[in-house]
Amino acid sequence: MKEFLESYKGEIKEVVLGKEGKSLIIGGENTLPFHTFEGKMPHLPVLALEVWDKEPENWPEHLLSNFSDVISSPLKWAKKCVDVFKADLVSLYLASTDSDEFDSTKVALMVKEIAESLPVPLTVQGIGDKDKDVIVLKEVAKVCAGESLLLGPVVKENYEEIGKAALEFGHSIIVQSPLDINLAKELNVKLSKFFPRDKIVIDPLSSALGYGLDYTFSIMERIKQVAVIHGDDLMKMPMIASIGRECWKTKEAKESKEQGVLWEAITGLTFTLAGSNLVVMNHPESLNLIRKLIK
Amino acid sequence: MILIGENIHILSKAVSDAIKEKNTKYLQDLAVKQAEAGVDYIDLNIGPARKDPEIMLWIVESIQEVVNLPLSLDTTNPKAMEAGLSVCKIKPLINSASGKEESKLEMLPLAQKYNCDVIVSVLTDRGIPTDATSRAEAIMETVAYANELGIPNENIWVDPIMMPISVDQQQVVELIEFMQMLPEIAPGIKSSIGLSNLSNGTPHHLRAILNRIELIILQRYGLYSSIVDSFDHELVDLMKGRLPKIVDIIYKTMDDEIDLSSLSINELNIAKTVNVLMGKTLYSHSWLEI
Repeated sequence: MKEFLESYKGEIKEVVLGKEGKSLIIGGENTLPFHTFEGKMPHLPVLALEVWDKEPENWPEHLLSNFSDVISSPLKWAKKCVDVFKADLVSLYLASTDSDEFDSTKVALMVKEIAESLPVPLTVQGIGDKDKDVIVLKEVAKVCAGESLLLGPVVKENYEEIGKAALEFGHSIIVQSPLDINLAKELNVKLSKFFPRDKIVIDPLSSALGYGLDYTFSIMERIKQVAVIHGDDLMKMPMIASIGRECWKTKEAKESKEQGVLWEAITGLTFTLAGSNLVVMNHPESLNLIRKLIK
Repeated sequence: MILIGENIHILSKAVSDAIKEKNTKYLQDLAVKQAEAGVDYIDLNIGPARKDPEIMLWIVESIQEVVNLPLSLDTTNPKAMEAGLSVCKIKPLINSASGKEESKLEMLPLAQKYNCDVIVSVLTDRGIPTDATSRAEAIMETVAYANELGIPNENIWVDPIMMPISVDQQQVVELIEFMQMLPEIAPGIKSSIGLSNLSNGTPHHLRAILNRIELIILQRYGLYSSIVDSFDHELVDLMKGRLPKIVDIIYKTMDDEIDLSSLSINELNIAKTVNVLMGKTLYSHSWLEI
């Protein structure tokens, strides 16, 4: 049998999330996703639930109702994700910074409180505004020194500033490029000049089923192939798929609970098959569905 | 390799003005300079020339007065093309026809009528083919059509259509593969490429190195001609065999017979570029910095 199996050149780097005692490792595989018959996959993809630091406005009732008792407290919401819904980790979305007046110190202290209280690692994601994200993520990096957060998204316009702050205070980063494998590599090249490669998670930009999922799938698949098969050192980082927000803004997911949960679960599962090592979701039931399938 | 100088091009502001003002002197000087730089053909890109197809006749006659090189007539307008062809003294080149219905009906017959050379691209009404096999399929159809018109393979220069490496690296690799298939699928046929599209979207200061090395790679796979910037002197020197050491590094890297640790920085940059062009390394704008 052995002579029929492929062995590959590249091994995905292991990235450690969270500080000692409550850390999680992602990556480490030296084969294509779930090809455990021809290589090792020491860590299954991990599943995060997303928490907002401001009440979401356009969520359908069948999503919101999971969190209605905790929706006004990001801390309680985060705890519920871990204690009740058994998420591997929590991803905090800084929705409150989508405004002209936010207090970055206050936001950072809130993040700190959550990070310290949780028994699992924390990912912190800005709203994707290249300027606001710099302000708030730099402050979060500083205030949460030592928590080994995963911060992002870091893009070509702000990688230097956020990267330097993450490096100084010991955090990992999510490096995002717009569905373009060459630009993903380009950003990794630039970051690698001052930032350790084992603290980078690639975000090729996720989309939902029916809304460009196939583009994301192709890029993820190629990134994993380039890393594992061709051994490209600059692409050997684990990948993240943030799919919750993408899925729950579709009209299909809003229509009914069953459809929404399946929409999110199929999107997330598809990306784990393409090589995603960390999936960020919104609905606990879709998380459970994926967990059952990949176990 | 046959080099076609691209510098008389309607997209250049100075050229466009000179054509508008019928500034013969400017265009003649530009042609002479290109000839001196060592190219084999002078391309005359006048755009579609919808208002005045006779522009091509005027420009051909003006350039023929001062250079003794064959001309490449570059317009999508068959009327302008014919006006130019009718006065050419040396066997010219039609740049270009394609497998699009319109081109098959109006442009290709001119190549037969004037018994001249013609660039035929792999473009068809279905669009630009996306891999080596579909390029072959597209060109076979068009070549068969041209043969029926009475145009022999020897007069056809196939343009496989270069795509920017920063957009789709795989296409660059597919083109190399297609070049290897070409002699088998169409014996005696020639080929030509619009080189500079390769580096469209690549940072400006890095475009030349990509273009130059790609041309050597394609030459090795039998590429017959290319449309080039006449004033890229290093490119011309390279193609005319005056820089054999560089060619040697390119070939050795292609064959995986090179010891990277023994190379100088410039040589290493050549090797890195070959690997990107051959698809061995994933392209990024910083490929030389890795």
